[in-house]
Parts: sequence; structure tokens; C-alpha cells
Amino acid sequence: MSSVIWYLYEFARKSWVEKFAAARTEHEIMETPSRWRNFPEVRKEYCIACGACTAACPAPMAIKLVRSTDTSEEGGITYPVINTRGCIRCGFCAEVCPTDPKTLLCGENHLIREKFTILPVDKMYVMDEYLCIRCKKCLKSCKVGAVSEVDGKMVIDQSKCIACGDCIKNCPVKGAIKGVFVSNVEEQKEIINLVVNTLENRIDEEQDKIKDLEPEEIFKFDYPIDELVEQAREIIPKDELIRDTIEKITDRLKMRIITWDDEKCKRCRLCVDQCPVGAITYDEEKGIKREPEKCLKCSICYQTCPFGVAGFYVARFLLSETSLDEGVIHVTLKPSQLPMGS
Amino acid sequence: MLDALKDVIRKSSIHVCLINTGGCNGCDIEVVALLSPRYDLEQYGIYVHNNPREADVILVAGAVTEQWREKLQRIYSKVPEPKIVVAIGNCPLSGDVFNQEGSSVYAPVSDFIPVDAEVSGCPPRPSEILAAILAVGPDAIAARGRQKV
Repeated sequence: MSSVIWYLYEFARKSWVEKFAAARTEHEIMETPSRWRNFPEVRKEYCIACGACTAACPAPMAIKLVRSTDTSEEGGITYPVINTRGCIRCGFCAEVCPTDPKTLLCGENHLIREKFTILPVDKMYVMDEYLCIRCKKCLKSCKVGAVSEVDGKMVIDQSKCIACGDCIKNCPVKGAIKGVFVSNVEEQKEIINLVVNTLENRIDEEQDKIKDLEPEEIFKFDYPIDELVEQAREIIPKDELIRDTIEKITDRLKMRIITWDDEKCKRCRLCVDQCPVGAITYDEEKGIKREPEKCLKCSICYQTCPFGVAGFYVARFLLSETSLDEGVIHVTLKPSQLPMGS
Repeated sequence: MLDALKDVIRKSSIHVCLINTGGCNGCDIEVVALLSPRYDLEQYGIYVHNNPREADVILVAGAVTEQWREKLQRIYSKVPEPKIVVAIGNCPLSGDVFNQEGSSVYAPVSDFIPVDAEVSGCPPRPSEILAAILAVGPDAIAARGRQKV
């Protein structure tokens, strides 16, 4: 009974009667909400004419790059034109647009920036799966869980790694985990050039001693690197990087040395044609001349010369374990085992 | 006197026939949204019948495919005068994503039947479709009705 009264009361209300008599969709429903992704808005002045929007567009005739005509004052500008008869309002063009600020605005998706997950570290740790013995010490020592085992191989997740270096400290195999400086690449190049050139010049000074070596004899000397380190510090004042770079050079570098003994030369000119870069020339007056700057150290002259004018040696290096300033590079040099005069 | 009366009736009751000539169905769904209580198409005196013989307005959605080319013209001829055609979405206008190279789509639809109004979008908003029907529908039908055939 009470509900009937309530209904009577409800239907008798003036507002209800008004709504019933003039039933209309409310205005807000017909309005376009602000989040609605409408046709892209083009801001010509920012366009760099890269064509990314046309490539990303899934509709065949929705977007075209056009170029306005040149005037006497300035050249025409290129900009995208949206054909609303073809556009599907997907917003891909705005998402791929590389300009900042965007040439194309469409919806809000393109405003979302991908979260930056890579920590700004200057060293990247890489697993060498050939050297790795799968002892899993790195996995246990990693504080952030960046090391994991995938298909029986240890893998470092670069997005998680914080470059603390704990894995390298615990790794029992030298070189199984490699720390690579990913920053200061240009400076690293300069240091490499500096070290290699210095070592080469230093060995060249010892030419006379090297020439007298017996076939099985080994020539050793120590090269103090304090000057080298000083010069490297001028390039970049980062001792860790310098040490790392020098150590990598000395571990991997196998320097080829060519010596030249003019006294033995009989001017047979066999080597002149053999040299692939033309570093050896013949002159009526001066005889055979070798230009060391052009030399590739390929050892073809050594293998060609029947009189032993050219000598071919291989130098290996090792950086001492001491600190950088007191450090020395042990240089070991021995005659090559290649057959000569063949 | 009779014309004026006819005008009032024609303006206040528009019968719509929806034809999908090979689209993705997205525009059809937007038309269904128009029928829903939220937009309530019938408050404007528009009724969806899907029967061309009693329709005043043909809504064409979809790029015209091989199968639909002649059927579309047959349907158009069955609609009694006065009649108008509203193209919904991008498919009848340009073929949209279906109009790729090598596809057998015969867009635009205006190649086959005369189109009075166009609503671009993929799909257009229900309110855009409604606005297009209301903008051309009543007056065009009334004007066509007065023409001597």
C-alpha cells in the first residue's frame, strides 16, 4: 500500500511530468568528450618532412605530404595533409611523429612517454658464453636479480643491471663477464690510438737489438706507463676507464713488427711488386726504399725476400698489477715462425 | 495546403534503411548505439526499418564490394520517392583501409547511387551520424516531395 502511495507521489511531481512530456537526450550526451580522439591536427611549421606519418598510416589515402610553392622570399615548406575522408583517427601518425613539439596532434596516446628503465650507467656488463663455466656465482652475487639462467646460459638483463661490478668480482674466470664502457667512446678511441702508437714507436727504437735476435730467442723489456697515463688523463680524467682500456689493449693486442736491414739488400726487387700497398719503392740511385707509414705489416715482403732484409716479429704485452702511476707494460717480442724466402 | 501537411508529416517521421555494403560493421554498431536509450533516435522521429520499400533515408556503410554493386542499385531503386542517401563513415567515401592496392573494392559509393550527405570518420560518433541525418533529412525529403516527378 505504501509503495502505491509512493508511486502516486512520484508521478505527480512536477519535474517528473515535465521530463515525461519533453523527453530529450541530455545535451552533455551529444557533446564530444574532451578525451575523444578526433582527426589529427597539423602544425605545419614543425614538420621536417621525414615521412614517418605516411609510413605509419594504415589507411591508403588518409595522409599525404605536400610542399607549398616557393615564393621569392622563401622556399616552400613540406607538411602533412589529412584527408578526413580516409583518416580512421587511429593516432599512429601523431605517435610516430619525431619532431618536438609534434607536428601532428591526435588524441593523447602520443603524449605518453615510455618509462625510462635503463639506469644511466656508463659501464655495461656482458656475459661471454664461451668462457662462462656456469658456476652461477654471478647469479648468487647479483643484488638486483639482473643475472638469470636462460636455456642453460647465464644472461644479464641490461634493464635491471646497476653496474655495481659484483658479478665480475665473484667471477672465477677472467673475461667471462666483460665490463664495457659504453660512455666516452670517442675518448676511448683516442686512448687506444695513443697507447698503440706509443708502444709501436717504443719498439721501433729497439730495432737494432731486435734484428740480432736468434730464431728462437725472446726479447723482453718493461715499458713504464706513467707518461702514457698522464697523456691519457688529459684526454679523460677517469682512472678506472684508462686502466680498463689499457688492460684490454695489452690483453688482446698482438703487434706485428717489420724490421728492415738495408745492408743485406741485393736489389733483386722481388719485394717491390709483391707489396700490396706500394710501401716499397725502387730508385736507380737510392735502391730499395721502404716507407714504414704505408706499411700494413702483412709480412709478404718477409716471406718474399731471399736475403733476409725484412724481419718479421710478433710482440705481446701484459700490464702489471700495480697501480697506474707505477705500472709497467711487459713487452715480449719474438721472431715469427712464418717461413721466409719462400 | 496538402503539400504543407505532407511536409509536416515527412519532416516528423523519417524512416531509415541501413545498408552495409561490405564494411567492418563498426558503423553499424554506432547506428545501434543511436537506437539505444542513451541517444534515442526515435525522439527525433527517425525510425530504423531496414526495409527499403518503406524507407526515406538510406544509410550506406561500407566500401562497395563486387557482390554489392548491382544489389545496391536495386535497393536504391526500390526506395520510394522522395529519398535521400547518407554515406556513413569513410568506407563509402574513399574505401578507407579496404581500398588497398589489389583489393576489389569499388569505392566511392557515389559512383553507383547519388549521395546527399557524408559523415566522415572511422567510425563516426553517433551524434555525428544523427546530426547529419537531421541536417539534410527533413528538409531534403520535404523538398524532394514537392518536386513533380
